[in-house]
Amino acid sequence: MSLDISLDRAASPRQRTGLLFLQAFVAPLERAWHYRDLIRAVVRRELSARFKGSILGWLWAVFGPLVMLTFYTIIFSNAVGVPKSAASGGVKTYALSIFAGLIVFNLFSEIAYRSPGLLQEHVNFIKKSIFPSETLAWTATIRALVYAGISFAVLLLFQIVVTGGLPWSILLLPLVVIPFTLFLLGASWFLMALGSFTRDVSFLMTSIIPVMMFATPIFYSFTDVPEKARIYFRLNVIGNYIEMIRDLLLHGQLPDLTVYAGTVLVSLLIFRFGYRFFMRYKSIFVDVI
Amino acid sequence: MSSEPIIICDGVGKAFQLYMHRNDQLKQTLFWRWGPFYKEHWVLRDVTFNVSKGECVGIVGRNGAGKTTLLQILCGITTQTHGITKLNGRIAPILALGAGFDIELSGQENALIGGAILGLKRKEVLKRMPSIEAFADIGDFFYQPLKMYSSGMAARLAFSVCAHADADILIVDEALSVGDAEFGAKCDAYIKDFAKHGTILVVSHDLTTLEALCDRLVWIENGSVKAIGTPQQIIPDYKIAMGREG
Repeated sequence: MSLDISLDRAASPRQRTGLLFLQAFVAPLERAWHYRDLIRAVVRRELSARFKGSILGWLWAVFGPLVMLTFYTIIFSNAVGVPKSAASGGVKTYALSIFAGLIVFNLFSEIAYRSPGLLQEHVNFIKKSIFPSETLAWTATIRALVYAGISFAVLLLFQIVVTGGLPWSILLLPLVVIPFTLFLLGASWFLMALGSFTRDVSFLMTSIIPVMMFATPIFYSFTDVPEKARIYFRLNVIGNYIEMIRDLLLHGQLPDLTVYAGTVLVSLLIFRFGYRFFMRYKSIFVDVI
Repeated sequence: MSSEPIIICDGVGKAFQLYMHRNDQLKQTLFWRWGPFYKEHWVLRDVTFNVSKGECVGIVGRNGAGKTTLLQILCGITTQTHGITKLNGRIAPILALGAGFDIELSGQENALIGGAILGLKRKEVLKRMPSIEAFADIGDFFYQPLKMYSSGMAARLAFSVCAHADADILIVDEALSVGDAEFGAKCDAYIKDFAKHGTILVVSHDLTTLEALCDRLVWIENGSVKAIGTPQQIIPDYKIAMGREG
C-alpha cells in the first residue's frame, strides 16, 4: 500500500509529480484502512443503537422506504401529473425513477445535515481519548450507505415486480457509487471542520437542503429542464449522479461519458480538498469544540 | 529500572487562542491573512522533563495550572504551540472514565468500542472479554444497557477496559477517585502491579497516593515547571505553598 518506496525509485521529475498527486488520494484511504477496526466498531454501534429499544427493530429500515415508494406511486398516479419525459414509461416506472433519485439525494442530505454537528456529538471521544476524528466522516458515510442499501434492495424488488427483470448495466453501478462515496466523504470532512467553528453551518444546511432538493432532478429529469438552463443543472454533482444511476438502473444504458468523467473528477477534487481542509484545522478545533 | 527515556517532553508550550466572539474563530479560519482575531493565552510555558522506562512520575499543581492540558498534549489529543514531545510506546490514557460510552448499548458492546479506541483489534477485545468482565465485576449488568448503570459501575467498566489495553505507558488524570473503596483498592493494586513493568504518568491531588506510588514528582505552577524531585523533596514544599494560599 505504501507509495513512499516507489516515490524514491521514480526516476523522472514528471513521474514524481504523478506519484505525489496519486499519494494525495491514497493517503486518506490508507489512514482509514489503518483505523478499520475502530471504524467498524463505531459503525456497528451506530447501526445497533438506531433501532435499540424498538420492537420491530430493523424492519423499520425496510418499512420506511416501502411506505415512501407506495405513497409516491399513489400520489403521482392520481393527484399529480407525470412529467413529459416519464409519460411514455407510465406511472410505475416514474415512481421507480423518483425513488432512485430520492435514495441518492437522501444519502447526501443525511451527510449534509449530520456532518456539521458530528464533532460536537463526539466531543467526549475527541477530548478525552485518543480518537482520530477524521474517521467520523467514514462512519457517517458508511451508516448512510447501509440505509441507502436497504432502500435500494426494496427498489430492486419493486423493479423486478414491475418490469419483470433487471438490465445488465446494473453491474456497472459500483463505478458510479464509488466516486459518489468519495464525494460524500469530502463533503462530510469539509462540513465537519466548518461546523465546529460556527453553528451557522447547521442552520444553513437546514435551510438550503430543501431548496436543493427541488433544484435537483429528483421529481423530474434533465430532459424536462429547458435547454438554456441545462448547463447550470449540470453543475449539480448530485443531480448528475442521480441521472447516471437512473441510466444504469432503469434505462439500461450507459451514461454520457463526458458527464461521467467531469463528475468523477469534481468528486475526487472534493474528496481531496475536504480531507486537506479537515486535517489542516484538526489541531485547532480540538481546542474550540 | 533502565535510564532509557520513554516520554520526552522538551520545551513544550501551549497557547490557546481566545476568541471574544464565537464567530471570530471562523473569521480567523477564512481571513487569517487579515488577522489575528484572537488573544493568546499561554497555559504552558517551556515544560521540560523526561520519564524513563519503568518509572512512575506524578504531576502536581493547583487547579488550572495546566496539568490536564499537558497530559492531552502528551496523548496527542491537542497539539502544542512549540516544543517537542515523544512517546516511545503504546499509551492507554485514563483521562475521564467512560467518556466515550453510549448509554443505549450494553457494557460488552461499549467495551468493544473502548477497546477499538485504544487501538485493539476486535478479535483481541473479544478474547479478553471474560477477563474484562471479571475485572469490572459488575455481574449481569455487563450485558445490560449502560443507562441502567450507576456512575461507579460505568467507571469500573471503563477502568477495566483500559487495564486490558496492553499499554506500555499508562496516563492517568485523577480519575481514580470514583468507585467505592473496594474498587479503588483494586485500581491501586492494578497500578502498582503495572508500575513493575510499565511506565506511569499520573495527575493527582492525593499526595498520600502519589508518595506511595511515584518515583518522582513534577510540580507545575502557572504553566511552568516549578520543581522536579522525589516525593520526599517536593511534597513538604508543595504543602506549604498550598497551605499559604489555600
